[in-house]
Amino acid sequence: MAEAIITPHVEEPKKKAPAQGDETSLITGSEAIAVACQLADVDVITAYPIRPYDTVMQYVAKLVANGEMDCEYIVAEGEHSQFEIVKHASACGARVFTGSSGVGWMYAMECLTVTPSLRIPMIAMVGNRALDDPKIPSRAKVDAFLPRYDRKDLLLHPDNPITVAPQANEDWLMEIRRGTAAAMERSAGVIREAYADFERIFGRKYGNPFFEEYMTDDADVVLVGMGTLSNPVRVAIRQMREEGKKVGFVRLRWFRPFPAEELAKSLGRFKAVGVIDRDFSLGSPYHSGVVATEVRTALYQSENRPQVVGFICGLGGREVTLPDVRKMSEIVSQAASGKPQPATQWIGLRE
Amino acid sequence: MTSLCTLTAKDFKSDLKPIWCPGCGDFGVVQAIYRALAAIGRPPHQIAFVSGIGCSSRIPGYTTAYGFNSVHGRALPIAQGIKIANPELLVLAAGGDGDGFSIGGGHVPHAIRRNVDLAYIVMDNQIYGLTKGQLSPTSPRGLRTVSSAFGSLENPVNPLSYVLAYGAPFVAQGTPADLPALAAVIEQAIRYPGFAFVNVQSPCVTYGEEEQQIKAHKARMKPLESLGHDPSDLVNAFRLAQDYGTELYTGVLYRNPDPSPTLDSLMRERQQKMSEGALPRERILELFAQS
Repeated sequence: MAEAIITPHVEEPKKKAPAQGDETSLITGSEAIAVACQLADVDVITAYPIRPYDTVMQYVAKLVANGEMDCEYIVAEGEHSQFEIVKHASACGARVFTGSSGVGWMYAMECLTVTPSLRIPMIAMVGNRALDDPKIPSRAKVDAFLPRYDRKDLLLHPDNPITVAPQANEDWLMEIRRGTAAAMERSAGVIREAYADFERIFGRKYGNPFFEEYMTDDADVVLVGMGTLSNPVRVAIRQMREEGKKVGFVRLRWFRPFPAEELAKSLGRFKAVGVIDRDFSLGSPYHSGVVATEVRTALYQSENRPQVVGFICGLGGREVTLPDVRKMSEIVSQAASGKPQPATQWIGLRE
Repeated sequence: MTSLCTLTAKDFKSDLKPIWCPGCGDFGVVQAIYRALAAIGRPPHQIAFVSGIGCSSRIPGYTTAYGFNSVHGRALPIAQGIKIANPELLVLAAGGDGDGFSIGGGHVPHAIRRNVDLAYIVMDNQIYGLTKGQLSPTSPRGLRTVSSAFGSLENPVNPLSYVLAYGAPFVAQGTPADLPALAAVIEQAIRYPGFAFVNVQSPCVTYGEEEQQIKAHKARMKPLESLGHDPSDLVNAFRLAQDYGTELYTGVLYRNPDPSPTLDSLMRERQQKMSEGALPRERILELFAQS
């Protein structure tokens, strides 16, 4: 990325009255996704039951059955077909959504490898578990945010005869990949634009699109993580702050494109960094999780390279507890004070 | 192979407590498998039991046989690999209708045409139970589920005509509503030299339809024997298979009276033939070094 913007830490969102036309409801993450599909006026959704994506399926089916959502809802014979159906529906001009979880997602991988080269817009969720109280925006705002899905001259239609996914020999693979890579490089700018539009239309500000900082301004050490880790980490940090411990949190929002330069610049401010992975990459450098490896790589070119300690925890949906977070934070503080720590440690493991 | 001591159904029951819903048809299926294995008399350590994913695919863990709980839809390729690598093993594969006829449906024809000697038991409940009741490939048209509020628009797969069409040499159906008969067809399937298929109408008590429960099965089931069906009559087997979904036939639907050789036996035969008169390894290396 060309520019590197460091945003000040985002304040904990205050409970405020929803903006006009918005409504607040206590629903599960799965239901929120179904509602988002409804608001985005998705045309084709495919499904194959796997927990927890099946709960999204269920809510979508309910919206369709209640006549609250107009879309083709197809239960495929497996994830492979599920991902192929939406890809080609998108080629024909339909706005699409699909999803899966765990091994189902792995089974869809063959379809996923060819999708980026086709540049066909397709959104898939990979199921995780969380309960939150999202604010549901009004349909009018969503319509203002999402332009009509128009593939223009790339629309697959009898009136517009084009070839989708033509066969090319392997001697063209590098050029095809380079094209996809260039699109991915440009995506960082598109993401920024989309966040700016989102803020303008919905009045919700998320600061830096790529990562969010929490109590990092005067922090000595920070924890870095993604997704559902955010809740226990924030609570533990507030506790530790009361005890005078200067700990902050950096939550990654985007894994690809990975905000390497921005993140390296931000993390360079701290004495030590603890990266919490809720995943594990077997045989990877330092036997780490994937986020730790990416963070180390991002920091390598950086002038200020803090100590990086990797943590593996919360695998298989295991709870990441406040004591777990405090323990990790303590280890990172030890690293900051010059006591060498192992590159990767497993937290909350039954010994 | 003769067994040294008499085995009972109890010897095949593991210490693991099934986590199926109370009243699930699969309890009956696992009982029938215990009985069939006891009648056959092969000790548990000579049995490999492979499954896919789903409620019913938990079944190998509830037996004392060697179990392989694989990924969704892949029980058959693994079972074939096991049998080919170690033909001495008695190989069973099991799973649900989603495992066998949706995500893994592509493996069934190939397992049949290879004719590897194994028994494939499908617990067909016409629903995805583990993920809370969505349409499955054998759900009847019009079925209302959490994924088909106004009724399914799709025709179900007919497992019986599916396997018959691909040339399965042994095809049977059973229900836990008649446990002795189910144990008997499973035993025959295991004893049959070649690919043997048993479709078990195994009720889902939580998400299944009323007419698919044990009580309804007891009233509906029709033993093929009592209908005077000759299991060697493939044409009549096909005709009867068309009633899948309306009639509940139990027993052996088709049994090829003239079994063709199995892939595992053909492979062994070829290996033996090709190794006859082959030079010893040392001599081959010598010749190689000279050339």
